[in-house]
Amino acid sequence: MMKTLRGWWDAFTGAGEHAVTVPPMDGPLLPNTLLEGAERLAAIDKPDSLCVHGGRLLASSGTQVLAFDAGGGAPRSVGHHAHAVTALASDGQSLAVALADGTIEWIDAAGVPTRLALPSEAGAHSIMALLVEGDRLLVANGSAQIVASDWKRDLMQKGSTGSLWQFQRGGEVRRLAKDLAFPYGLARLADGRLACSESWRHRIVEIGEGGRARPLLADLPAYPSRLSPASGGGFWLAAFAPRTQMVEFMLREDAARRHMIETIDPDYWMAPRHASGRSFREPLQGGGIKHLGILKPWAPSQSYGLVARLDAAMQPLASYHSRADGTIHGVTSCVEFGGRIHAASKGAECLVACEPDQVGEAA
Amino acid sequence: MSVQDTLTRWRYRYVPDHVLGELLSKNWIDNVIPFFMLVGSIAVFGSIVPGFFEPFTLSDSTRQLAEVGFVAMGMAIVMLAGGIDLSVGSVFAIGNFLTLALINLLGWPVFVTLPVVLAACAAIGLVNGLLIGFLRLRAFLTTLVTLIIFRSAADLLVLTYGTRLATGGASSPLWDYLAYGDVYGMPVSCLVVLVVAIILHVMLTRSRFGWHLLAVGGSRRSAHNAGIKVRRTVCLTYVLSSTLTGLGSFFYAARIGSAASDAGLGMEVLVLTAVVLGGNSLGGGRGSVAKALMGTVIVLTLTNSLISLGLQSGASTLVLAVALLIGVAIDVKWLKNRHKVISSVYVSPAYFSMPTCPPTDPDSGSPYAQNDRLKDVELIGLGELDGPEDVIFDRDDNLYTGSRHGDVIRFLAPDYKKRELFAHIGGQTLGFAFDRNDHLNVCVGGMGLYKVLPDGEVVRQTDETNRSLWSIIDDSRMRLADDLDIAPDGRIFFSEATIRYDIAEWATDSVETRGNGRIVCYDPRSGKTRTVLQNLVFPNGVCIANDGQSFFFAETWAARISRYWFDGPRKGKLEVVIPDLPGLPDNINRASDGTYWCALMGMRAPVVDMALRMPGFRRRMAMRVAHDEWMYPNINAGCIIRFDDNGTVLESYWDAGGVNHPQTTSMREHKGWLYIGGVHNNRIGRLRLPDADPNWTSNDSYWGSRK
Repeated sequence: MMKTLRGWWDAFTGAGEHAVTVPPMDGPLLPNTLLEGAERLAAIDKPDSLCVHGGRLLASSGTQVLAFDAGGGAPRSVGHHAHAVTALASDGQSLAVALADGTIEWIDAAGVPTRLALPSEAGAHSIMALLVEGDRLLVANGSAQIVASDWKRDLMQKGSTGSLWQFQRGGEVRRLAKDLAFPYGLARLADGRLACSESWRHRIVEIGEGGRARPLLADLPAYPSRLSPASGGGFWLAAFAPRTQMVEFMLREDAARRHMIETIDPDYWMAPRHASGRSFREPLQGGGIKHLGILKPWAPSQSYGLVARLDAAMQPLASYHSRADGTIHGVTSCVEFGGRIHAASKGAECLVACEPDQVGEAA
Repeated sequence: MSVQDTLTRWRYRYVPDHVLGELLSKNWIDNVIPFFMLVGSIAVFGSIVPGFFEPFTLSDSTRQLAEVGFVAMGMAIVMLAGGIDLSVGSVFAIGNFLTLALINLLGWPVFVTLPVVLAACAAIGLVNGLLIGFLRLRAFLTTLVTLIIFRSAADLLVLTYGTRLATGGASSPLWDYLAYGDVYGMPVSCLVVLVVAIILHVMLTRSRFGWHLLAVGGSRRSAHNAGIKVRRTVCLTYVLSSTLTGLGSFFYAARIGSAASDAGLGMEVLVLTAVVLGGNSLGGGRGSVAKALMGTVIVLTLTNSLISLGLQSGASTLVLAVALLIGVAIDVKWLKNRHKVISSVYVSPAYFSMPTCPPTDPDSGSPYAQNDRLKDVELIGLGELDGPEDVIFDRDDNLYTGSRHGDVIRFLAPDYKKRELFAHIGGQTLGFAFDRNDHLNVCVGGMGLYKVLPDGEVVRQTDETNRSLWSIIDDSRMRLADDLDIAPDGRIFFSEATIRYDIAEWATDSVETRGNGRIVCYDPRSGKTRTVLQNLVFPNGVCIANDGQSFFFAETWAARISRYWFDGPRKGKLEVVIPDLPGLPDNINRASDGTYWCALMGMRAPVVDMALRMPGFRRRMAMRVAHDEWMYPNINAGCIIRFDDNGTVLESYWDAGGVNHPQTTSMREHKGWLYIGGVHNNRIGRLRLPDADPNWTSNDSYWGSRK
């Protein structure tokens, strides 16, 4: 009773659950232009997932997997698949490649592929992250309702049907957790706990016994995507879009949101996106009006590029940014390779690299 | 259109939400709360107190009202200047004693007694005034001390002469008339209080001293900086307060005729409560005489009724104290939150259903198909300009443009490299038009319609029009004169984009998308200004058609272009010629081949179109989401279109990359070139038009060739 009343009151005044406040980017997440100024290694068509395997950096690009050598040089295609590649992972020995049809190709150290498929309880196929650990393969299925390329719909429908699965070499499959709001990245903490970035809830959680999620890092100012281990302990976290008041407001306006989802092309929604300014049909926010030909870096933006360095307990230490006036947006994956941090930008469709010690000095 | 949609449309058509914000931003809105308290208290106590409206009770309470009313007005004046006068009760007692002593004891006539009593009270007030105004002692402590001193003095006097006063009893008809007389059924004291109230009101609102007083109360430091004699002003308020108290005590003495020591006892709290409950701010600067009187009626109704209802006198003081507390709380909260309330309710979106958006894809084959024709424009004044909304040429090919700083800037022909300040007007200079005499007519945001003579002299033409009948905000003043054009007979038709927002927040009007704008006609022959068309959705560009009898105008947020005939056989007819633009039209100008150019200063976004049918959504957005995050149509992208008299769109010019002209608000064809301006831009672009008449100028088109 009181809860219902409180709900109505909050809806009327815009407080509590209905508040649209967004945490500021501050402290270790203070904006800079390090990601925007990073070296652009190569233009890649539809880049998404990155991993290091066999001394090379692998990047997924649509249905292909591209390989980059440590010494530089043009990327080479090392795999062509029937469906788009949605995630890559390697433990140094074996490589796992998830495809948009929900299958996973697990290639062992000898190069022998095994084909795995998500069980039907997983629902639709949107494998966003993989984690290979010897004979064990962990799989994050973003949503049971949409396919990976339709992520925006899941976000705007406030989807929370994601799940985590564990495959054992030999065939055993087990569900570790369910009802996650788009698990987008996986990582193993030093003490053996499993962590996952829950993108629509802007947090990183640990998955405990019985699939219980406990937050390790909550209230992020951006939508987190994939996690990868950092040398010297800790992790790298990529985030592809900022949280904005307007989107938070949209998420609380059920009628308008439903109408938008039903009648408007997702590219033109008031929603997070991988790149901004590609079409004038995208809605503009007041602070984003160009004055004297200039877009302010602090303008409200629906896309962003953020790579954050987290410590072993998943707390942020430093960050690399590409702000509203930049283009390296929609960063969905970052890995450390050859002493540098590499990030895949869906917004700029390229691979960038910067020195990890830059932020150390800045911070 | 669904039922829900229809209901929403009707709901927003017939419920004028925007009125609330406009009412709240009125100065007199502060009176509303005390006024309703007044009506409420009279209604409540009038119905439960027996004999409330009996003539005798009414006459007695109005006389009492008058006496307290004088004191309350005095207190209000002191508080308006930021002070407080606690000594009023003691001054009242002294005034009462003095009056009785002069009349009864010394037998002085009334007309001598009154000035003497007033002068004596003024002298007492001067003591307060000198201490607080000139010696700058704290008002609260000083008047608390003088309260005690004068109270003791009054008590001593009553103790010494009280018995002799009581035995005296000189009476004159005038004295009795002042006490019990009526003028057309109204007690004399009441009449006097009304006359004094009117005088004080005029003084406060219309005189130099009154303005100084309010300025001192509003901000002492600023008043001092503005050259106001703060100390003298403060001092005078105490003199006024005590004099008015003296006047009150004079009538009190006439009515009661007793020098008992309880005269004016506790009056400071009563009066303070009255003044604060009436809505006069304790902090100074806000309030009025009327509010003081309203508060007095409320408080006296309250206390007298409680006494008649048989409450013990202690209890009625308690009620008074609670009333004071409530008054102070409301005062503080209202003052602090008023502007917040206004800012959250002022933006009041309306329902607007956008027509289907025509295609703009490069391969769509539509006249709006995107292209890169504006990519290679030559730039003029890059980085030297701030907001060239419109561009125009004189007969010597010099280019004129406006700026956010209120200048008219001239670039000299032929290469437009040399820039000079042609005139400074002060408000943002928007639309331009040359008239028959080569005078540059210009719409100035926030100022109205001006003209600049060839030597640079600025002349105001008009800044007000007829006020519409039911408008709450004063819509007679020009708030955002936007674009203009001149008919062959010299009449100037110009648009005022919105009457609810200033130039700095013009984009906010798009959140409302209501018919807030109008088209106004100024006739230089008669000097008269009148509104021609009203309730237009951000009317923007105006262009006289080639027939000389009609003009085209753009309604920006409605994405349409209409035509209005002001002369000829179709006079008075209004017709939408392009109902469904893909973007937001701005300025319209003539092209050399008899067609018209129109700048689309922004493009429609589907989500925004959808939101236009959801006013509640937009209202909540305006209330909850930070101003900078609000959703707008995309005014970072624009294009230029060309259309003919029938409203057929012929072609469009785009800068798809949005580098040079992310926003185009105007364009002007001149001798085979097209010149492009933008209100948020820092450059003017020019583009060679290969098929245009290389000798055509708009001056010739409007006024004929000179040579």
